[in-house]
Amino acid sequence: MGAPALILFLAFYLYPALQNLQFATRRWDGITEPENVGFRNFTNLLTNDDLFYKTLGNNIEFTFLVVIFQTALALLFAVYLVKNTKTTIALRTLYFFPTILSSVSVGMIWLFLYDPNFGAINLFFKSIGLPSFALNWLGSETSALYAIAFTQVWFHTGQMMVVYIAGLQQIPKELYEAAEVDGASRWKQFTKVTWPMALPTTLVVMAYTTIQSFRAFDLIMVMTNSTAGPNNSTSIFSTLVYFTLFNELRLGYAAAQTIFMVLTLIAITWLQRRAFSGRYEK
Amino acid sequence: MMKTQGNKSFSARRLGAVAAVAFAIVATTLPSALAAGEVLGKACTLEGVSTGTSSKSLVCVAGSSGKLTWQKVRLGSSIGAPIAEITPPQGSIEFWHYRPEDKATFEKIIANYEAKYPGTKITQVVKTTTDYNATARVQILANPKAALFASARGSIFNDFVKSGLTADLSNERFVKRNLVAKGLTAGTVDGKVLGVPYHYLFNNPVYNTELWAKEKWSIPKNLTGWVSWCKDAKAKGYVPLAWPGATRGQAAQISNSALMNSAADYNTLSDNLADLNSGKIDLTSTWFKGVADIYVKLRNAGCFPDNPTGVTEAAAYNLFATGKSPILPTGTFSMGSIKALSPALTGKMQLMSMVLTDGKVVAEGIMNNTFNLSVNAKANPIDQRIAKSFLSYLATGPVAAIYSVATTQHLNVLDIDYSANVDLLNTSSFQGKNTMLAPRFLILNTSVSDLTQDALIQIVGGKSPDDVLPDFSKQIKQKLAG
Amino acid sequence: MIFKSTRIFALLTFAALILVPSLIVVLGSFKTDAEVYNKPLSLPENWNFDNYRRLLSESDLDVAFRNSIMVTVTSVALTLLFASMASFAIARMITISGKVLATLFAFGLAIPAQINLVPVYYMFQKLGLTNSFIGLIIINVTTTLPISIFILTAFFREISKDMYEASEVDGASPLRVYRSIALPLSRPAMGATSIFLFVINWNDLLWPLLLIQQPEKKTLPLAMLAYRGEYFVSFSMLFTAVMVASLPMVIMYLFMQRSFIAGLTAGAVKG
Repeated sequence: MGAPALILFLAFYLYPALQNLQFATRRWDGITEPENVGFRNFTNLLTNDDLFYKTLGNNIEFTFLVVIFQTALALLFAVYLVKNTKTTIALRTLYFFPTILSSVSVGMIWLFLYDPNFGAINLFFKSIGLPSFALNWLGSETSALYAIAFTQVWFHTGQMMVVYIAGLQQIPKELYEAAEVDGASRWKQFTKVTWPMALPTTLVVMAYTTIQSFRAFDLIMVMTNSTAGPNNSTSIFSTLVYFTLFNELRLGYAAAQTIFMVLTLIAITWLQRRAFSGRYEK
Repeated sequence: MMKTQGNKSFSARRLGAVAAVAFAIVATTLPSALAAGEVLGKACTLEGVSTGTSSKSLVCVAGSSGKLTWQKVRLGSSIGAPIAEITPPQGSIEFWHYRPEDKATFEKIIANYEAKYPGTKITQVVKTTTDYNATARVQILANPKAALFASARGSIFNDFVKSGLTADLSNERFVKRNLVAKGLTAGTVDGKVLGVPYHYLFNNPVYNTELWAKEKWSIPKNLTGWVSWCKDAKAKGYVPLAWPGATRGQAAQISNSALMNSAADYNTLSDNLADLNSGKIDLTSTWFKGVADIYVKLRNAGCFPDNPTGVTEAAAYNLFATGKSPILPTGTFSMGSIKALSPALTGKMQLMSMVLTDGKVVAEGIMNNTFNLSVNAKANPIDQRIAKSFLSYLATGPVAAIYSVATTQHLNVLDIDYSANVDLLNTSSFQGKNTMLAPRFLILNTSVSDLTQDALIQIVGGKSPDDVLPDFSKQIKQKLAG
Repeated sequence: MIFKSTRIFALLTFAALILVPSLIVVLGSFKTDAEVYNKPLSLPENWNFDNYRRLLSESDLDVAFRNSIMVTVTSVALTLLFASMASFAIARMITISGKVLATLFAFGLAIPAQINLVPVYYMFQKLGLTNSFIGLIIINVTTTLPISIFILTAFFREISKDMYEASEVDGASPLRVYRSIALPLSRPAMGATSIFLFVINWNDLLWPLLLIQQPEKKTLPLAMLAYRGEYFVSFSMLFTAVMVASLPMVIMYLFMQRSFIAGLTAGAVKG
């Protein structure tokens, strides 16, 4: 019964995934005969490629920022909106709305909002008397990655909030009632009941957000004009592989980069599991 | 006087595609709109203006008395009159290019062509320049249906040639008879025409003549002049240069002006750029530090917009179109888009020389033969014939005129009448200048070219060349090693 | 008190963060570029549909719409079919292959398919699957199989064992149990998953960007990207395109909010 799925998965996921290992040992433009170079792509990446380290750093920073802020905000809004009333449902619907837009549209909208001289964001900061907050958002090396991370959080927080709401609504009411009888403050209720009970959901949210953050490719392509940002400040693995593949026509090198991308993803996921599931099991 | 460097054999005088007589231009003359149908011998207002590239075209020339009059464009001894297009076989091909803003115009031309030759179909595949340069070659290699494709002169065209994608067009009759022969040099490799450079454009700053007249500015003659002009314009509340620092390809255009007078002569400059390309010298060389220093001086004089590295093409074009900025430092190819944004600017734009040196002036301006149209050597023979047919159709005067007038673009095609577009007429006066073939395209390695421009963009963004140049030199070195 | 006021502040801020950009886009689509740039928040000076008329006459978004619908609907249907069969196999552990499947797809869930950018591009080029809807559908189905199987397996496991066993005792083949018991009972789950898949496939840019170049085969996100090139100087036109491209989804969203929200979170909740 699982045969069709299995065949597709083996042929178009697992086989190419393993092919990466083979490709990574080549110097190859995809046209002429490949040349076997052993581990040279890997050593070159590790010893003679600043862009690789920059990308690694960017990707880790981006993922951590997005995971932390998106998860925290999603949980916060879920706590605020967990009860079903007309207002909360309306707000949920609104918060969820960006999720249904295409990433290209979202990128275009924020490209305009972030415009340093005309965009609504800087206009806002200037009008409330905080011109020092009016930054060159996407044009500056120091802020471009954060600006895109913010957009990513804006884009998907609503989706994760709904996940949390579903999780929170399954927490037995008795637990809260008992806490209230004990005179526990709202903060206490949160730390003693909500947070531990929602931990499984948190793990799911974080895992999903992590994978999503690795896919920020679309936003970056649109918001930094098909480059990887000023001085490559928004280069993450997916853009790096894409540019190495197309711009430079180095298939082998791109495959080697891919392998590091997988390792990074595994490492991040493992760290998250370790940080949270340990406590969860207690 | 009239010469184009980097194209040593170029001599419009002998070849006579454009204007035949040598003349000097008073750079600060403000052009006035030219009506079509000017008559021979009558007075004209702007020296150098030519109404087209046909045997009936006129050029505005100063006579011995100094009075400007229309004279006939003298066409050189041609191999023969331009010919009609090749009749295509039936079938369908794709035409790949990087001018999304021209898509609608090509659509019309294609519709005419398809109506004339039922059963033959041309589909445009259009990408932005940045996307095109990044991906088109790989995709065309895998796609023999992409029988006709464009590429920018320089590293991009060079990559296509290296991949063996460009069929030899040297022996096509339309190539010999319909095109400005010297314009073909930019698409010629080892004596073979592998791409037909369709555009004859100027990568020179475009300025708003109305604003310049209102402020009574005259065009600065040297770097010191530019520095003080920027200060003056900024003090008056303008953004002196509407420079789109967020879009590499457009931000890079001004580097042509910075490069053109950065070395003692054209040969030294092209050697320097070739050395940069090969890694023999890097961005910390004395010569390139000098180029970077021009940027620093302009930056410190307030020439660039606020937050320059975040200024998108859209923002820059709007600055210029709304009159907030008197100069759009890109090139003639931007004029069509500007007129779409602000029709009121029609007839009020002109090209300027931007001499960014206080020393020897090697060239006054930049020209480029580009948008090289090539036939895909890996397409099947029938598709190649269709591609050649459509290319020859584009190279007929009346068709080229449709494109030229609609997009405000001078072309390397004979037998065009420019008089229907006042901006084409006005800017044609630049053909008489001492121009240089756009030097930035001499960097043939795409990674080196991109990183060089990125370094300059970072400098405009406020960084010191002392930090930027070694950093980017290292990145270039790593790319060249890979 | 503090809880209340911070709550209101936080909720209103985020609401504004969504409403204001949306408003800028809606208003911008009725403005000229000079207005968009100089007065992004003000009302248009002239309310008219010029931008929309221009967009509809100059663009080929309709072709992209058709392509996106075709590719998305086919991809979702095939994914659901294959995923539900596989999930059933996993949930029922009919054979040893159930365990193998579960492990394999768990791996696919952890490592997104974009790692296969290079090999898939090369493979599809060789197989002639670039510029082909079939190629795009294959990759869509493959990349979304793990998450769909993840969601559906959880649902199939919830169906009580007795129901399966009762029918198995009756001598029904696994295929029949799947068709007559599992499928009908999992209809809500299938509906939710299909919406989840619909949004993913509809909005995907990476794979179409890699595999599709011919304009007549472009999906909507690709067409939007091309459109950005065509009107790179005109945010009023870009906003108009955003409006036109988003409208069908927005309408669907407003009418089917509940299933949408359920669908898009189904994967996560059931984990």
